[in-house]
Amino acid sequence: MAKLHVKNISLSFGGIKALQNVDFSVEEGQIFAVIGPNGAGKTSLINSINGFYRPQEGSIILEGKDISNSPPFQRAKLGISRTFQNIALYTNMTALDNLMAARHLHMKSNMLTGALFWGPARNEEIAHRHRVEEIIDFLEMERIRTEVVGNLSYGLRKRVELGRALALEPSLLLLDEPMAGMNVEEKEDMARFILDIHERQGMTIMLIEHDIGLVMDICDQIVALDFGVKIAEGTPEEISHDDAVIKAYLGQEQ
Amino acid sequence: MVVNEKKQKEIKRYTNKRGQQPPDIPPKTNTLPKIFLQSVKTHGERVAMRKKRFGIWQEYTWNEVYRHVHDFCLGLVSLGLQRGEKVAIVGENDPEFYWSELAVFSAGGTTTAVFTDANLQELGYVTTNSDSMFLIAHDQEQCDKALDLLEDPTFGPGFKQIRKVIYWEERGLWNYEGDWLISYSEVEALGREYAKSHPNLFEEMIAQGDEKDIALFSYTSGTTSLPKAAMISHRNLIYANSNIEGVTPRRPSDNYVSFSPLAWITEQSLGLTSHLIYGFQVNFPESPETVQTDIREIAPSTLLFPSRLWEGIARTMQMRINDSIWINKVLFSMFMPIAYQIIDLEDEHKPVPLHLRFLRWIGEFAVFQPLRDKIGMVRMRDAITSGAALSPDVLRFFRAVGVELKSLYGSTEMQGVTMHYQNEVKLASVGEVLPGIEIKIMDDQEIRVKSNAVFAGYYKDDEKTGESFDDDGFFMTGDAGYIDEDGHLIYLDRVKDMIGLANGESFSPQYIEGRLKFSRFIQDVMAVGGFDMEFVTAIIIIDFENVSRWAEKNRVHFTTYVDLTQKPEVYEIIRKEIDRVNDTLPEHARIRKFVILHKAFDADEAELTRTRKLRRRALEQRYGEMLDAMYGDKDAVTVSAEVKYRDGRSGVIETSVKVATVNV
Repeated sequence: MAKLHVKNISLSFGGIKALQNVDFSVEEGQIFAVIGPNGAGKTSLINSINGFYRPQEGSIILEGKDISNSPPFQRAKLGISRTFQNIALYTNMTALDNLMAARHLHMKSNMLTGALFWGPARNEEIAHRHRVEEIIDFLEMERIRTEVVGNLSYGLRKRVELGRALALEPSLLLLDEPMAGMNVEEKEDMARFILDIHERQGMTIMLIEHDIGLVMDICDQIVALDFGVKIAEGTPEEISHDDAVIKAYLGQEQ
Repeated sequence: MVVNEKKQKEIKRYTNKRGQQPPDIPPKTNTLPKIFLQSVKTHGERVAMRKKRFGIWQEYTWNEVYRHVHDFCLGLVSLGLQRGEKVAIVGENDPEFYWSELAVFSAGGTTTAVFTDANLQELGYVTTNSDSMFLIAHDQEQCDKALDLLEDPTFGPGFKQIRKVIYWEERGLWNYEGDWLISYSEVEALGREYAKSHPNLFEEMIAQGDEKDIALFSYTSGTTSLPKAAMISHRNLIYANSNIEGVTPRRPSDNYVSFSPLAWITEQSLGLTSHLIYGFQVNFPESPETVQTDIREIAPSTLLFPSRLWEGIARTMQMRINDSIWINKVLFSMFMPIAYQIIDLEDEHKPVPLHLRFLRWIGEFAVFQPLRDKIGMVRMRDAITSGAALSPDVLRFFRAVGVELKSLYGSTEMQGVTMHYQNEVKLASVGEVLPGIEIKIMDDQEIRVKSNAVFAGYYKDDEKTGESFDDDGFFMTGDAGYIDEDGHLIYLDRVKDMIGLANGESFSPQYIEGRLKFSRFIQDVMAVGGFDMEFVTAIIIIDFENVSRWAEKNRVHFTTYVDLTQKPEVYEIIRKEIDRVNDTLPEHARIRKFVILHKAFDADEAELTRTRKLRRRALEQRYGEMLDAMYGDKDAVTVSAEVKYRDGRSGVIETSVKVATVNV
């Protein structure tokens, strides 16, 4: 059974067809990439998977269960976690607090016990802090632990966002352009983190990325979109020789 | 060593002027492992070291450390480590690093610590030259180097004799194949198993140790040639400590932050060895980037940094003050001159007037105490600088804000030779001759040293060893200096680096560089002169962070580092800094022309040694065109420099560098 099955979904905003009959599945433990030119519908696809958009047709099936009608927070509980293309963090909070906020999903204490901060609530906080510290260690964020996110560089903010996604302990991680706007070194760091996450936790990862060289290096399976239509699907090797993909990216000779 | 060819005459000998004698070491504690066992007995459940992991300072008691060392040692023995064999270690300062060393010492082996930023060639050279049978490598990065070295045509064959590569940071190494790589905890498990069939072996091996055994190889930074392995015995390390003990006593209650690389002898001697002897607590920072915050949390009583780091801290402090709110700036500019005045009076042994003392006392509350707190130096008793000479300005700055910074002069081969006593600090000197040390000054101002801490010779290089000692058994340092009327050693420069000019005068480039580097705008500088040159010139490397901050404030637009360096405004601020330093120099030693280099000096391009000393010959060759331009009346020079990236690729950058003239 596939980890995720995107089944014939179509999404339109008024007359604009963002996705048309897109269908593919992601296997457990894969690193899966979605590529395509600007406006191809990649982010719409991710938004549909995590529940921000509701496709008019088709369904999203997670581990055999139809989640098409679940709101985003329920999908998060089911193990779908994501990052955003334009970074959506609490900019006035520290990196640590941003990560702790993501643990909210796993916390049991309520407002009252949390305010008293005694006994179970306190122990729970310690346990979650420990988990968050492991992520900080994993992503090498020790130096920025107590820095306010708004003061961090773009590359570091991306890393905090990845950390927050991990703090949810997802089984499916959606990364929307995790390396956009980074320099070569930051990209290589990020690629290493993605590979480490995959290797260490066997997590299924789906990412949108424009750096084709990088996608070819780290991904198992790729799907290519153009104008909301799936134009190709296959291994990096197959995709790099696919005529439709080359045409979509480079244009056609007149 | 060209200087040795002509016979120099001895001028005078000196010993400790206070007549202090270091205590002798009893045979019961004449090796580091023997001292370790004793300390475990005395300190037992006290905390020996702390390491910040997962945001919390994790503690290890002496008993726990004993278990780790014991298990790891027997693990190595079960893997074939024998008495007298060598083990190379490359990694950041961590408890595991200390334990590994102690484990190897206990088995009668010798360690070689390697700088973490060593490239393939350097790591290959050191491991094969030292005949290492094991490599203890911190993490994935270092293990990858080891795996690459196996395939290396030059070092591969020698490297293959390494039995195991042992790592202690498992991240990223989960899926590596083959049993050549093994984790630290696996070795410990092997050791526990081995102990069942060999009880008491650990203690027996330690009892066999002798003070003349070689504890470690310390590779000299090799400013001139390939690095050589100086053999340091247990006896050397222990005596180096007892020599210093009379000057700056250590207590078990002290807190020490271990951050200077262990490939540097001073960290081995005043960090690891002192920790064993005096039982103080060692704290390991979370990561190299968090050192500043970690130091602040620990507020150590002892710190040992190379001079470069102190210069960096001074620059950061000045920058922070500049960026601070107005009231802080006003207070700082009010009290700093007073503090400087007191330091200068003390330096000249003049009485300090009561009203100055009173004002300084107010300043202590208003600025200095909070400032020291910001950098974690409120409890600092022994702040020590070593390595390349520290500029007197930096020393003066730290002492003025209340950090009792002292200079320690020494080298890999002889360890500490002179040091400042508490309350006897002369800014221009590197301190008084330590107890247990005899030095003589030659007629060409060379310093020669004899003591129990002087090393046992270079590994596999008897010729070089012979050349390093004179007929009386003194080590020939190649350093130039003299003892002044107060019995303080004034360090000038390397004998061969004292540079003569065409007009017959000579000057010390290091001195000029030290003064210039105190400027927050200047990160590095090389002063140039020579027998065929009429005057002194300088190549300047700007401090990018501070200069770009300045540029932003003053609306100087720039795109890249290269662009910033060539801005006329930047040339103007650097010219002002040079004017300030020129004022303190004799006429002939003043800088007449300078260039601001389009890139920073880089150890990866062999422009600096790993301890970040300048490789002058290499630099003069590399930037020969600029020197020609400065001495040949050109206004600018086009340079295309080859840049080697850390991953081995190379590229070329081309740019025009301006030559500026200074009026003197």
